[in-house]
Amino acid sequence: MKTKITDALYPVGFAIGFLIIWELAVRLLDIPIYLLPSPTDIVAVIDSSLWSHMLVTLLEALTGFVFANILGLITAIIFVHSKPIEKGVFPLAIALKTTPLVALAPLLVVWMGTGYSSKVVASMLICFFPILVNSVKGLKAIEHEAWELFSTYKGTKAEIFWKLRLPTSLPYVFSALKISTSLAIVGAIVGEFVGANKGLGYVVLVSSYHMDTPVMFSAIIASALCGLVLFWGISQLERKIIFWQRTDDL
Amino acid sequence: MLTTASDLGKEASRLQNQDTTISSKSEIAVTLKNCSLSFGDVQVLNNVSLDIYKNEFVSILGPSGCGKSTLLRLMLDLLQPNAGGEIIYPSKDLSLGMVFQKPVLMPWLTAIQNIALPLTIGEKKFTKKEAKEKAEGALRLVGLQDFMNHFPHQLSGGMQQRIAIARALAADPTVLLMDEPFGALDEFTREKLNFELLRLWESPETSLSTVVMVTHSIQESVLMSNRVIMMSPRPAGVDDIIPVPLPSPREVGMEELPAFHQTVKELRKRVKHL
Repeated sequence: MKTKITDALYPVGFAIGFLIIWELAVRLLDIPIYLLPSPTDIVAVIDSSLWSHMLVTLLEALTGFVFANILGLITAIIFVHSKPIEKGVFPLAIALKTTPLVALAPLLVVWMGTGYSSKVVASMLICFFPILVNSVKGLKAIEHEAWELFSTYKGTKAEIFWKLRLPTSLPYVFSALKISTSLAIVGAIVGEFVGANKGLGYVVLVSSYHMDTPVMFSAIIASALCGLVLFWGISQLERKIIFWQRTDDL
Repeated sequence: MLTTASDLGKEASRLQNQDTTISSKSEIAVTLKNCSLSFGDVQVLNNVSLDIYKNEFVSILGPSGCGKSTLLRLMLDLLQPNAGGEIIYPSKDLSLGMVFQKPVLMPWLTAIQNIALPLTIGEKKFTKKEAKEKAEGALRLVGLQDFMNHFPHQLSGGMQQRIAIARALAADPTVLLMDEPFGALDEFTREKLNFELLRLWESPETSLSTVVMVTHSIQESVLMSNRVIMMSPRPAGVDDIIPVPLPSPREVGMEELPAFHQTVKELRKRVKHL
């Protein structure tokens, strides 16, 4: 317990040190605010509107994240049970994955408008592939002997799925979920860049037009915070669900 | 009446004489008839014929990779022999149990849930309550009743393997097939579990009558079994069947008996000859 607290103090200490050096450097070297605002400049521009933009982005990312993962997992389950579908659809999924989201985003806005749904779909597109690949891997990762054990006792396909395949795949699924948390935010912000009137991507874009660097910084930091919140939430969930595997990242 | 590795042909008459003394006393638990098996072009088993009796502990000994495990998989019906081969279990109330080299426990299930798993899948002969009671009984047999609600990662390797044995016993098997069950354990745990398994086999509390154990330890095979089946290298056939003239029940210290050394020596000779 004690080591846990001291462990947490290290990054906090370094962050505070970094902020102090940043603040001093800006003041002493007289760096213009449009190039690099000091931490206090940034804090000064934070108001309730930033929180509401942050909430919008978080909600878009989270919705895309949830839908992509449900869809990815279902697709993976279908793949694992049908070789022809896997062989036919997997290359298409790879093709989708190699298409840059930035190139697709304008199309999404044309199709779905500048509202909520285009960002959700952008988020989904970017989250879909990791969950699909990892779930397929996880669902196939059962030990051969475990399969033999179920077969010896005449376990049905459904029993093998629910009592063996699905639990075995969970560690793989969760590592994909953790990868997708930051990707989901990327998707939402790219969507907002192309066409939106709210959200952190919108704030970054508009503040860049006005050379309002402190606001830009506040939005960048807020977007990083969104990713952290999602990642932390998934990590907590992972520790609860996959209790038999201790992962020590964050 | 007994068909052994006929393709090798040597010493066949001597073997037959030895084995009839056993067979006259016992009923057959399982018969393998002319079982060959190929994976594509690779022939793994070559015409294996074998009788294993009730109330018998048999070890299958052979060089690693020779197809010993494959033979067990045939007996488990996980693999089918090539055309012409046959595996016959004459008994009507047959129940098979399997123990692997690794414990193969589900890490998300507690010890008791792992043991109950075979009882709750497939034909589902038991209610939830019955399954739990049977699992508790099996856990007591291996002496781990205090670890009922522990998860596999909280148990040592030896304890995990005992849970795996309990899981096999919970379904009341009459024939227990084991694939190097103690191969991954340290010497101390291995010796302890050797005798624990023998006690379970002898015990009237279990339905166990026949144990077939694959092993690559000559000492282990001699110490534990009534007969040792020596396999030849791939494509594996039965090279020889050696009866073990040690008294039963087997006790700690029987490794010191001349008969033990004699049999070990005999088997060693055959290993060299292979």
